[in-house]
Amino acid sequence: MAAEPLIKVENLVKHFVVRLGAFGERGATVYAVDDVNFDIFAGETLSLVGESGCGKSTTGFTLLNLQKATSGKVLFQGENIVSLDEKRMRPYRRELQIVFQDPYSTLNPRMTIGEVVGEPILFHKLATKAELPERVSRLLADVGLPARFAQRYPHELSGGQRQRVAIARALACEPKFIVCDEAISALDVSVQAQIINLLLDLQEKYGLTYLFIAHDLAVVRHISTRVGVMYLGRMAELASREQLFSNPLHPYTKALLSAVPEADPELEKTRQRQILTGDVPSPLAPPAGCRFHTRCPIAMDKCKAVVPEWREVVPGHHVACHAVEQGAAG
Amino acid sequence: MTITPVILSSTVADDEPPVSLWRDAWHRLLRNKLAVAGLAVVILLAFVAVFGPWLTPYDFLTQDLNARNQAPSLAHLFGTDDLGRDVFSRVVYGTRTAFVVAIVVTAIAVVIGVALGAMAGFFGGMFDRIVMWFTDMTMSVPNLLLVVVINASLKTPITAWMEARYQATLNPFYRETIWVDFLLVFGSMALISWPPYARLVRAQVLSIRGRPYVTAARALGLTNRLILMRYIVPNAIGPLIVSVSAGLGTAMVLESAFSFLGVGVNPPTPSWGNMISDGLRVWQHYPHLLAAPAAVLGLATVAFSFLGDGLNDALNPRGSK
Amino acid sequence: MTAPADNKPLLDVRGLTIEIDTRRGPAVIVDGINLTVGKGETVGVVGESGCGKSLTMLSLVRLLPNKIRVKSGTAEFAGRDLLKMSKSELRQVRGGKIGFVFQDPMTSLNPVMRIGDQLCEPLIYHRNMSKADARERAIELLRLVGIPGPEQRIEAYPHELSGGMRQRVMIAIGLACDPELLIADEPTTALDVTIQAQIVDLVKDLRKKLNMSVVWITHDLALIAGLVDRVAVLYAGTVVEDAPVNELFARPTHPYTRGLLASIPKLSDERASRLSSIGGTPPEPGRRPKGCPFAPRCALAESVCHERVPVLEPVAGSTGHRVACFVAQRQMMEAA
Ligand SMILES: Nc1ncnc2c1ncn2[C@@H]1O[C@H](COP(=O)(O)OP(=O)(O)OP(=O)(O)O)[C@@H](O)[C@H]1O
Ligand SMILES: Nc1ncnc2c1ncn2[C@@H]1O[C@H](COP(=O)(O)OP(=O)(O)O)[C@@H](O)[C@H]1O
Ligand code: SF4
Ligand code: SF4
Ligand SMILES: [Mg+2]
Ligand SMILES: [Mg+2]
Repeated sequence: MAAEPLIKVENLVKHFVVRLGAFGERGATVYAVDDVNFDIFAGETLSLVGESGCGKSTTGFTLLNLQKATSGKVLFQGENIVSLDEKRMRPYRRELQIVFQDPYSTLNPRMTIGEVVGEPILFHKLATKAELPERVSRLLADVGLPARFAQRYPHELSGGQRQRVAIARALACEPKFIVCDEAISALDVSVQAQIINLLLDLQEKYGLTYLFIAHDLAVVRHISTRVGVMYLGRMAELASREQLFSNPLHPYTKALLSAVPEADPELEKTRQRQILTGDVPSPLAPPAGCRFHTRCPIAMDKCKAVVPEWREVVPGHHVACHAVEQGAAG
Repeated sequence: MTITPVILSSTVADDEPPVSLWRDAWHRLLRNKLAVAGLAVVILLAFVAVFGPWLTPYDFLTQDLNARNQAPSLAHLFGTDDLGRDVFSRVVYGTRTAFVVAIVVTAIAVVIGVALGAMAGFFGGMFDRIVMWFTDMTMSVPNLLLVVVINASLKTPITAWMEARYQATLNPFYRETIWVDFLLVFGSMALISWPPYARLVRAQVLSIRGRPYVTAARALGLTNRLILMRYIVPNAIGPLIVSVSAGLGTAMVLESAFSFLGVGVNPPTPSWGNMISDGLRVWQHYPHLLAAPAAVLGLATVAFSFLGDGLNDALNPRGSK
Repeated sequence: MTAPADNKPLLDVRGLTIEIDTRRGPAVIVDGINLTVGKGETVGVVGESGCGKSLTMLSLVRLLPNKIRVKSGTAEFAGRDLLKMSKSELRQVRGGKIGFVFQDPMTSLNPVMRIGDQLCEPLIYHRNMSKADARERAIELLRLVGIPGPEQRIEAYPHELSGGMRQRVMIAIGLACDPELLIADEPTTALDVTIQAQIVDLVKDLRKKLNMSVVWITHDLALIAGLVDRVAVLYAGTVVEDAPVNELFARPTHPYTRGLLASIPKLSDERASRLSSIGGTPPEPGRRPKGCPFAPRCALAESVCHERVPVLEPVAGSTGHRVACFVAQRQMMEAA
């Protein structure tokens, strides 16, 4: 792997203060992202998986400084971008883009597709007004849409087509890095594969780096270089795709992988599932010690009190669990 | 490497021209019979307001003391009043007053309301709290009371000052007290009309601010001004149009109420309000003096409210899917 | 495994057609669906969003929303046509002999009623139980669906429960009167995979214990692979393929089914290899093509496909496997 990471995330924390009760009389803290560390290397696809509400999107948002981090650093080209104000952030905005989940609210309904895709080009002065139509057509062609779509409005497009436009808008600034926040989750099954192929093609063509946030593990296994597993705001495990899927070390990762159904009735019949008991605890009151201890099948006394350390147990394989030995093979 | 183009589904037929949301809304509006009727009445009244003075058979001030308090006839469609003035002509001219007041007042109120509401919603924090405190304060004081107080406390000093200026300069401009009337009416009505617009726009902005397309615009690095102008305001404008349409009707009623209380447009300028208030005194003997302006006022408010409802449905594509 | 081929099916839907009023007049959204569910059988109904899965099931208990109605067809349940029953007969069936679990647990539970009361209601109504007995049974049901501390939880309001627990409460309500048929409409779509695995496990277990028939609606082919006996694949309001589960995964026959299966990433795939995908998107209701509804996206389409609508016919050389495709039928004939 390339030595110098494109993005370095250090001790990133994001807490939300929310008001509870009928009159908002009680304050509480949501521990959305709590002390998360990882690197993203140029040209790779790093996926974040985990259950809903575990902090995947919040990680993506704070990383792009779209939400102010509570503490911690995100280093991009040597600059800690989460400490920048909007004005000083602007030059970096061009290089760091995002694609959202819901294809129905991701485009401004009052703008034509041409305006949506053209706006960032003009704003960042990447082309003149005269060159714009040509640029827009090329971007639309890149995402597999005909040029005449430039005149259309978002409500005239299907979900998959809108998602293509959202990708074209992100590409318009010629970014280095794109966060795909559940970018395919809301699409029809038959359309998902189209968009996955598109993302892969564009990565190859433009040398893009992705942070791919998803909950569908089959898709994640397909497109990732490395995979990070989150649980209740903390990172549980991070490893290359091969290591994570063939040799998961964290008990939560093991349970997660065993819960994913496979499209194969024969295999399903013989497969040993590890069914977790209990529900995901609330991020308003995360358990002390290891946050997984309320559901962990091998939890020990120590787990209830001591937060497991985030360690690299084998080169390239990070895990946070008391039960995993240094140099463990699983 | 090539990317296979998507085979287009039936979502968009190739030959169909692109339809903007506004065009779509317009077509939906035209399918709503009540709204179309409202629209027709509004257009008719607007036409009367603009061209009325050239259409009426009499001047609204011409008195014909031989023909006082006449019942409606072919010569005087709505009859004549106690000074022998043609009521039809006065109602027609009153339409102009009503529209001028309604449009000016609503325009001022909308400008104040949208500016404060949009900024309050977008920036939040201290600014938001101050603006909301002002709106709450204004809304909690009874409207008419506020207007009466403003009038009572401002009118006398202003007229006195103008009289003094006249004495000093002999400029006839300072004798034109009708401007003071209009200024006070417009000013005080606008002052009580902007808070609902500010609230509406703030609520809209708050909900739109969190939509993914706004976050995407922030991620593109666009400036706050651009985001507000191109992303938030255009999307907040649907409900605003609806409430402006209803607000125009309300402003007309308000103007009439003020005139009725004697704090509005002063005679002899005809306004539906002062005609109603004159007619009310003699309604047992000459009901037409009350009926004509009251009916037209009623018609106008109903028309505006039907149009407002129709716009509400038309601008809400989900409602009729 | 496969349907007990003995007597008549428990549920027999024939030629069910549902239409909706649109601006341009009525439009067909479910077009002549045939579906059978045997006693004790679990049938998966698979299809993409908007293909008519939910409406088909809602029409069976006559709960279609305004402007949407059944145009033609029959739906026999234990020999009686659900679509023609009197209102009072229907009430006996709803929540009694047929249990329902809806797609969205938050909107289908009454937010201002304690879950215990919501559970007791059908018991008191359908089973004439006393309040005390109903409460007893409600606690038992909550325990059955794996809710810890049911004696306390019975007093909870829906918002006090997590998504997974709410979905279990929905299942408990669906099961309350020992239904002969449980219809579950995407019961796990809103849930996390680990919770989904719990629910799937639960239903598998209960089905055996109570000898119920189950219709499980989903868009996730992988999910039903280990769960159902038979699968009906829906596309744009028609059943395009209907087969025993092993047969469907081993020999998918309809081009749409094949496309769907091929577009799921496999364990054995190279990283970042191209997935095979189906171009285009499903038709919107009211804009269905004239012939085969899949024709505009189908790589095998021939001229006949744009003219005539293929009907569901048995696939040569296998039992219980039916497909609605001109080309697939011809190929299977040639192969057999
Ligand atoms: N209340 C309604 N009013 C208008 N159209 C509706 C209504 N309910 C459903 N439809 C339309 O009918 C079609 C079938 O809907 P249905 O809910 O059965 O789909 P589904 O297969 O269950 O999809 P999903 O996977 O999203 O639940 C869709 O095109 C949908 O837009
Ligand atoms: N703006 C916000 N205010 C308060 N809480 C929030 C906000 N955004 C997210 N959260 C909470 O933070 C946690 C992590 O959320 P999110 O990152 O969206 O999860 P994921 O993307 O993994 O599903 C959740 O508990 C969520 O409810
Ligand atoms: S630290 Fe303890 S509770 Fe946490 S995952 Fe490891 S063994 Fe389980
Ligand atoms: S009938 Fe024709 S168009 Fe339809 S699926 Fe078969 S081959 Fe394709
Ligand atoms: Mg998320
Ligand atoms: Mg549904």
